[in-house]
Amino acid sequence: MACAEALRVQAYFDGELGAMDAADIEQHLTRCADCAALLQSLKTMRAAFREEVPYHRMDTGLRARIRKAIAEPPAGRTPRSFWAGLASGAVGTALAAGLAVFALLPAAPDPLLGDLLNAHMRALISDHLIDVASSDHHTVKPWFSAHADVSPPVTDFAAENFHLIGGRADYIDGRRASVVVYRHGAHVINVFAWVSDGKPLPAAANRNGYHTVFWRRGTLDFAAVSDVAADEMSALVRLLKQQPDPVE
Amino acid sequence: MNNERGRFEALALPHLDAAYNLARWLARSPADADDIVQDAMLRAFRGFAVFRGGDMRAWLLAIVRNCAITAGRKIRGRREDGLPGETNERGAHLTLVAQEPDPEHVAIGADIGRNLNAVVAGLPEEFREVLILREMEELSYREIAEITGAPIGTVMSRLARARMLVREQWLHHVEGRAQHGMR
Repeated sequence: MACAEALRVQAYFDGELGAMDAADIEQHLTRCADCAALLQSLKTMRAAFREEVPYHRMDTGLRARIRKAIAEPPAGRTPRSFWAGLASGAVGTALAAGLAVFALLPAAPDPLLGDLLNAHMRALISDHLIDVASSDHHTVKPWFSAHADVSPPVTDFAAENFHLIGGRADYIDGRRASVVVYRHGAHVINVFAWVSDGKPLPAAANRNGYHTVFWRRGTLDFAAVSDVAADEMSALVRLLKQQPDPVE
Repeated sequence: MNNERGRFEALALPHLDAAYNLARWLARSPADADDIVQDAMLRAFRGFAVFRGGDMRAWLLAIVRNCAITAGRKIRGRREDGLPGETNERGAHLTLVAQEPDPEHVAIGADIGRNLNAVVAGLPEEFREVLILREMEELSYREIAEITGAPIGTVMSRLARARMLVREQWLHHVEGRAQHGMR
């Protein structure tokens, strides 16, 4: 009864497909009435789900009881000074300026750079380019607020031929990062954003045909990764830097 | 003074609603949900040392889920003869009316011939949880897989099955009305 593509149609609906598969399924949907009907059902059900099924919020009484339970000191444990040290990021910030010069030396490959390239390629290969597929920054931005530690500014630069295609949560160098995904011609550009730890950022790099450009704004660090030409990459980065300031 | 607790609270408290909502949908009784979520948050706090960064919400939801399953087993143990609460895949819809009537659900669905809440509440647990995690928390397949401890392929097929059940049990009954209003 169900078409063999039903699971991929569902994945498409859930924004889980990479650009290639998504295009594939869009083609398929024009030919398969069952799948087109399935997609329509999924949309109807989601709309109804959001309207009718209650999200149960915790009442203040239980909230208070939980806080109280946590406040009672757990027996036989010592606080970990490691986290305490991390919590005060001031040390890192103070060192940042002094260390900046080392980041320019081509000595050891930078783990952050390697991680970004891996994340970029993993996203391209593994069908997990996008968690939220949308060209509408009013959709992508709130998604980040709800799903990621970082909610970077999101702008569609379609007029400049950098099309916003969605967003994704990723994990870079031990940190949660938000990724805004753009398409430029046949190229995908991943723009990563994470909470800066104050450490100096690596210099722009070109490795295996992938350009990576770093910048910092306020409390956030950014990196754009793509195989577009260097001058096109610069154009996008210029646009990104002109966005309104990131909040929080 | 207590940095660990401060850090835990800063990371965990924003997700209390998500934790509670999942507990409510898995427990199906407000009182059970209270116990489950309280138990889960205490466990989370005690186990905070093993939390190595990453997605706090997913980590908490996984703990809530485990607590709900443990609690569910205890409850089922008390009801040794499989009274309401026991469902099976095929017969899910038969138990709908037999579930503990949640006044909120009844009130909301009173004048809707067939109510989506009751259909969701009546789904077998493994289907209900993926649907709640996907549609209410908007988690990715990967995150749902982490929380439920199931492979991504299993998450996809459970989600498909859950939606098929909702489609059969709810959508087909309201389709006439929905046809004009859907986007």
